[in-house]
Amino acid sequence: LIVDDHDGFRRFARGMLEAAGFTVAEAATGAEATEAVLAVRPGLVLLDIALPDFDGFEVARRLAAVPAEGPAPVVVLTSTREARDYGGRIAASPAAGFLPKDQLSGAALRRFLARDP
Amino acid sequence: MSRWLRAALIGGAIAAVGCFVWSSWPPNSQYAPIETSFAIVALSFMVAGIAAWQRWPASRLGLLFTIVGYLYLVPYILVNLANPVAWTIGNPAEGIYGAALAHLGLAWPSGRLRSRFECGVIVADYVQNIAFNTASTMFWNPAFSGCDARCPANLLLVRSSRPAWNAVNTVEGFVGLVMTGIVLTLIVRHWRSARGWSRRAMIPLLWIGTAVGAEDILTGSLFHFSGLVTYALLPLVLLAGPALFVISTVRARTAGGALGTAIVDLEPGASPGRLRDALARALGDSTLQLAFRQPGGAGHLDTSGQAVDADRPDSGRAVVAIAGSDGAVLVYDEGLELEPQLVKLTAAAASMALEHARLQAEVQAQLEQVRASRARIVEAGDAERRRLERDLHDGAQQRLVTLSLALGMARDRAAGADPELAALIDSAGKEAREALTELRELARGIHPAVLTETGLTGAVQALVERSPVATTITAVPDGRFPAAVEATAYFVVSEALANVAKHAMADAAQVTIRRRPGRLVVEVSDDGAGGARAEAGSGLRGLADRVASVGGVLRVDSPLGGGTRLEADIPCP
Repeated sequence: LIVDDHDGFRRFARGMLEAAGFTVAEAATGAEATEAVLAVRPGLVLLDIALPDFDGFEVARRLAAVPAEGPAPVVVLTSTREARDYGGRIAASPAAGFLPKDQLSGAALRRFLARDP
Repeated sequence: MSRWLRAALIGGAIAAVGCFVWSSWPPNSQYAPIETSFAIVALSFMVAGIAAWQRWPASRLGLLFTIVGYLYLVPYILVNLANPVAWTIGNPAEGIYGAALAHLGLAWPSGRLRSRFECGVIVADYVQNIAFNTASTMFWNPAFSGCDARCPANLLLVRSSRPAWNAVNTVEGFVGLVMTGIVLTLIVRHWRSARGWSRRAMIPLLWIGTAVGAEDILTGSLFHFSGLVTYALLPLVLLAGPALFVISTVRARTAGGALGTAIVDLEPGASPGRLRDALARALGDSTLQLAFRQPGGAGHLDTSGQAVDADRPDSGRAVVAIAGSDGAVLVYDEGLELEPQLVKLTAAAASMALEHARLQAEVQAQLEQVRASRARIVEAGDAERRRLERDLHDGAQQRLVTLSLALGMARDRAAGADPELAALIDSAGKEAREALTELRELARGIHPAVLTETGLTGAVQALVERSPVATTITAVPDGRFPAAVEATAYFVVSEALANVAKHAMADAAQVTIRRRPGRLVVEVSDDGAGGARAEAGSGLRGLADRVASVGGVLRVDSPLGGGTRLEADIPCP
């Protein structure tokens, strides 16, 4: 599941990840993201931090709090900014990790999936 | 007081004392001490007369002092002349100064008696004094004092009789005691009803009253004192009154100077209450009121909030307007009407002080406005930078990221078919990523996103991680603060750490941010070369301005060779 309010990025990311063998769903806001997680039960959520309604940290917190049937999705935060711009907030979040947007690739996401069974 | 009057008074005093000395010459060892004390006491009253005339030209007090002085001395001169007419006038007049003294006391300080009753008391005192002394003279044979043929004749002598003379004297002593009692009682009543300046002005009089009372009781009842004590030392007690009056006059002459001092000592921005206190002290009038006109014709209120009728003051009070003060007035003890110059000076001093306070308040208000607008300008600048950073992030950065992803995908697709094209796309992708990195640095310089995102804790952590000098964080308070405070604290740490890296040649640095009641204290110290100065266009100067823009203070402690300690004290609600 790709959560990002930026259409252009979603389109390219989808293209790239589908080419890398993923099945991709999209959401543009935090609210859509929580609904989509319940609907499509993704294995991984690529979650942009800057969203129009509530930020990625809040979405990650909500996803972690949702009582899950089956395995919970691996949440990977992403941003055009770098990790150090968020100080300790990334480490404090229940998300599995952070991936700068410009380093996005199927291989990078698979590493997260491999690390987090 | 005219020059002529002063010359006449001084000349008269010298002449009177000269006459007295001449009339009692050659000095007789038995009487010399008594006569010297007479001369001194008389002279003291004459000097006090000159002082009173000078100080209160509108009062008759100077005249009364002078009269007492002459009445004290002249009868003795007449008696000493050994002439029958002079002796016959002088002998009954010897005690009349006592009535004049009572007159002086009741008329203090204006020189005018207050009521018909008091007028009557004084007339009665003069009459009984002259009557009894005349009556006793009728029975006194000058030969009683053992002077035989050298004695001047008593022209009033009716019958030479010691018992009759004694009897008249005893009755006179009793009546005199009663009169003194009445006069002293009236003076005490004056004292009790007097307030402020008038009460202070009565202090010398109380001395005179006490001295007269003591003398009357001692000479009347304790006649067994030795002659020297009774006749030479007791009169000297009288000196205290005129002496105190002269001293108080000299002090009053310095009151004008005291006003100046009072105004100068008044700290800037002192309240009207403080001004009133200073003026009251300088004027010597504890009842002084400083009253301001209330808006809308609601009358005047003094500094203690009491209503004051500036048009019709209470009895015993007088009013003077303070020039250029929009209707403010001083209400003072009426007795001060005797010193119009001092009142005028006080009003002028009050006028200056109020004007000063008004200007001060104006400057203060303008300064406050400038401060507020500076804070607003800095805040607006901060907000603008935050907006710019967000715009970069949402716009150009986002597009560059997408571009670099697209280039990555294009390269992957071209890789098999056209390796040359793939290499070209790859180098374009590198360019795009570098542009993104540069843009990130630029955005961070404009406004650190980490500060907006995480507040001081994360932002300072990020600064410390980037610092090339080993830096430890001792304390940073959790929680968020107003944006302007956070931004200022952040810039202090950022600029300080940049300086440490550039100039300090330090091995280690330390960042401490502590929350104190009402403020945030940011401290950055290092163990480097020191010698940093906030002047001379350095970055520190700009930082000090930045801290001042939110009402804070930047302190730099940087002894040569002793490291640098930067402390910003930032107000924080």
